[in-house]
Amino acid sequence: MKFIRSVADVFGYSPFKAIHQHSEYCEIAIDLLVDQFEAFIRGDKEEIIKLEKEIDELEHEADKIKAEIRTNVTKSLRLPVDRHDLLSFLTFQDQIINYAEHVCHMFTYRETKNIQPAIEKKFRQLLYKLNDIICKYEELIDHVAGLIATSFSKREITDVLEHVNTIEHAEHECDTVQIELHKLLLNSNLDPMDVILLRNILIHLGEVANSTARAADAFRTMILGR
Amino acid sequence: MIDILFILMLAAAAYMAWNIGANDAANSMATSYGSKALTLKQIIFIASILEFCGAFFFGSRVTHTVGKGIVPIQLLDPHIVAIGALAAILSAGIWVTISTYYHLPVSTSHSIVGSMVGFGLAAVSENLIDLESIRWGVLYKIVLSWIISPLSGAVLAFIIFSFIRVLILARMEVEKVEGIFRYLQVLTACYVAFAHGSNDVANAVGPISATFGFSETPAWVLALGGLGIAIGVATWGYRVIETVGKRITELTPTRGFSAEFATATTVLSASYFGMPISTTHTLVGSVLGVGFAGGLASVDLSVVKRIIYSWVLTIPAAAMLTISLYTLMVVFL
Repeated sequence: MKFIRSVADVFGYSPFKAIHQHSEYCEIAIDLLVDQFEAFIRGDKEEIIKLEKEIDELEHEADKIKAEIRTNVTKSLRLPVDRHDLLSFLTFQDQIINYAEHVCHMFTYRETKNIQPAIEKKFRQLLYKLNDIICKYEELIDHVAGLIATSFSKREITDVLEHVNTIEHAEHECDTVQIELHKLLLNSNLDPMDVILLRNILIHLGEVANSTARAADAFRTMILGR
Repeated sequence: MIDILFILMLAAAAYMAWNIGANDAANSMATSYGSKALTLKQIIFIASILEFCGAFFFGSRVTHTVGKGIVPIQLLDPHIVAIGALAAILSAGIWVTISTYYHLPVSTSHSIVGSMVGFGLAAVSENLIDLESIRWGVLYKIVLSWIISPLSGAVLAFIIFSFIRVLILARMEVEKVEGIFRYLQVLTACYVAFAHGSNDVANAVGPISATFGFSETPAWVLALGGLGIAIGVATWGYRVIETVGKRITELTPTRGFSAEFATATTVLSASYFGMPISTTHTLVGSVLGVGFAGGLASVDLSVVKRIIYSWVLTIPAAAMLTISLYTLMVVFL
């Protein structure tokens, strides 16, 4: 609209909504991975490929958000957190969905039959743990609104710190399941090719958990580094 | 001849007042709309009445400075003063309109001061007065007040919001605090409107007061300015309030209160000292102050650079426009 003099220009681009949106995509991607795993166990090829596309698409969207934030968070902005802390935190959060995307392709590499129930069960357990972590992570990111509303009150910061602890704890549990699963896989009588594939998947799922914990840690650094 | 000049001057002043109401008043009131402390109708109601009151009851000092403080009008022929005043209002109006079109964050106060300087210089070039008789000391004070006012807004807002943050937000539920400040913001909205009217009315009617020589500026001149501002708010300002308000929703009532209180206090103090300052620049300073106190998700400092550029541009542009118009009028009238 022309013929308007506006003070609104002083309000800069705020990256926090976009960060929240990005983290939601991470959560949805993990949700879909769980579904894809079930399809993999059933041998439902169509469903596997459909979910692969969906996750791939999500990762692409998340990349766009990341690019938007990186382009708009310029030096002239003054944010309540350090700009570099924010951008490196974003890199870690982006790793979550990147690893999820790697896994979604792996499920399409090879049809695997006769997975022992014990392995299947452990895998499911690992995925549920991942889901748990990412839900907790999502709750952590929800704190941003509260942090900004109270302008980083001590109470709110304490809540965040506690929340990061629970995520780190959950990641540790994930590690334990991973170790057990490794032992099961490497001592099974599965086709070695299946073992290679499943182990690759397993390692990358571990990376999803690790990235989430790293992102949570970077989030803490960002909040405390004001 | 003077009658025609005077009528033209009234028309130009009315346009300027309308423009000030439509844009500047609306911008300062948009903070109350962005935080949803008031509805659009309530804001227009408050703004119209309190802008008028500020202009009418407290606008005479700044009006005096603009009209009689810069150019030594007692040394000039009334006819020349009338021409100069008309040229000044016209060029300020034209400059503000052009730069608004190009989205430059110009100030009506800077424009009118630049225009009056232009009038003074034109009179000097005609050998009607000496260069020394222009009141450079007053001008120096005015320029100083332009630098101090955004800083004062920023510092005050920083202090006020820091207090709110440490003493209230850290101890009580955020929603409750914002709820209380929603009511307090009604008061600061009135405060801002009153302060704005008291300072910016001079940008429209200051030159008119010059034509009355050193006798007291008649009350109806201030009333005309106040009325023009009120009409500007009501006829065009609501669109500006909506547009600006929608973009500044993150200014919650505590933040809006801090920014408005700091702005209004600074502007009203300037009115008390008779200094024609920019309310908009003060408001920008105040919002940055809230941002620096950690109250906003993001503030953009590049706007400061743009404001400084427009300062540097406005004074010579308005002055040169006035000199041109003045020369034309002297030749043809």
